[in-house]
Amino acid sequence: MAGTRLKDKYAIVGVGYTPQGRVPERSALSFHVEACANAIKDSGLGKDNIDGLICYRQFHPLANDVAVTPYLVAQHLGIQPAIMSQESYCARGQVLHAISLLDAGFCNYVLLVYGDNALSGRRSFAEGATNSEHPDDIAAFGEFSRVANFAMAARRAMHRFGTGPDTWKEIAVSQRKWANINPLAMSNKKMLTDRDYFNSEWVVEPFRRDDCCLVSDGGRACIITSTERARDLRHPTVTIMGIGEHNTSVDIHQSDIMAGPTGAALSGKKAFEMAGITRHAIDACEIYDCFTYTVEISLQDFGFFRPGEGKEWFKDGRAAPGGRLPVNTSGGLLSESYFMGLTPITEAVMQLMGRCEQRQLGPKTGNKTPELILCSDNGAVFQSSTAIILRRF
Amino acid sequence: MYSKPLPRPNADTKEFWKGCREHELRFQKCKNCDHVRWPPSVICPQCHSFEAKWIVSGGTGAIYSYVVYHIAFHPAFKKDLPYATAVVKLAEGPKILTNIVGCRPSELFCEMPVNLVWEDVSETVSLPKFTPFKD
Repeated sequence: MAGTRLKDKYAIVGVGYTPQGRVPERSALSFHVEACANAIKDSGLGKDNIDGLICYRQFHPLANDVAVTPYLVAQHLGIQPAIMSQESYCARGQVLHAISLLDAGFCNYVLLVYGDNALSGRRSFAEGATNSEHPDDIAAFGEFSRVANFAMAARRAMHRFGTGPDTWKEIAVSQRKWANINPLAMSNKKMLTDRDYFNSEWVVEPFRRDDCCLVSDGGRACIITSTERARDLRHPTVTIMGIGEHNTSVDIHQSDIMAGPTGAALSGKKAFEMAGITRHAIDACEIYDCFTYTVEISLQDFGFFRPGEGKEWFKDGRAAPGGRLPVNTSGGLLSESYFMGLTPITEAVMQLMGRCEQRQLGPKTGNKTPELILCSDNGAVFQSSTAIILRRF
Repeated sequence: MYSKPLPRPNADTKEFWKGCREHELRFQKCKNCDHVRWPPSVICPQCHSFEAKWIVSGGTGAIYSYVVYHIAFHPAFKKDLPYATAVVKLAEGPKILTNIVGCRPSELFCEMPVNLVWEDVSETVSLPKFTPFKD
């Protein structure tokens, strides 16, 4: 296994939050800059330590914003990184790239960031419908949006192994229970019962409103460095014990993997092999959850249950506070806030550092104090998958 | 006035859309390994041969998956709500995104047999759509 040499060699040392939810009158750039500054402060580093900066590919600017570039973020932070990039491969690719830059010796501290004013700026996430020039011919048939793309996959899975709303409501409800004990979560004050789930309106069937992630204003950032350097910093050390990525790449409309096995099967295998553990050692999961079905198929492909057994597996609050395997302990993208793959990864880091207050896994929630957390990230529509095993070292 | 988005043929897709206008659903078939591909490309994704010929699909297939829109992401589709889009797997192999017409969204199911019908939407554009299979 190529990555074994890198097991526990790199660590995540600082997490940067910003106000999140509906935060009007803010530019996307401002969220990037605030999240970065807070991550630097949180880590205990100085800004001049940052020699790598990786930004998510920014969507088209809203509300007269300028387009966010790494140059602008660096300028506003007053830093001059040796290496910068901006890519659409989000946290999943960015963590691997950061490790590669660190291991090759090009950088010592790499900052990853995502931010957006999507909620206040009314980003539609249906680019084809809002751009005056439709980039994709399938708009001619009325095919728009990620929700439709993932719903297409979910419908196939209903046919293939009998999943459906009865499984997905368990996911939505259990994640909402986590959000209800996370004051940062956008849905902190909103309860969600089975009945509420079934009463929530269809968006693109088979998905209801409560199957879909939030749209958020705000930003999130974290810093990756060597475990050796992390030991000198202020927080408990959280290492990257295993990481694996796989890119099936095929557009969902031509895909054979709508109902799995998605890239998670191979990315998970690589991550577990690198870490030298099995899924039985995992204390909690932070799974990229753009939609409820994404959580089901990811856990299924990681081997936690067989096709179609998710409905039983999620029952009785297994993934909820106090359950046997906590999943998405901040509320996730469904109920906390949407910061791409950084929502799950940063939550895992905060849990392993023991900094999650009311929702901290351990005696407060009736769960084991976590040592190993499995995170996932997912790109485009099951075209890319990363599994990351983080460890309190 | 037809107000829905129209396909914009490019160098790779113009043969497909030209075929549609002539009511022929055309796909590239690899001359080396016989793989029928979609979307159009300069090479075969299976064997990397550059040699391909265009074939005409018989227009039969089955619904691989489908969704039902309850919100309109584009105003021109509002009057169609709820409407379905579907991925149809054709007998020749390719899967294409299309609409199922001639039945209600609630009647659809995965693996439903369908066949091709043409919708002429403008002077120059015809869209391949599908309807529940009839002999």
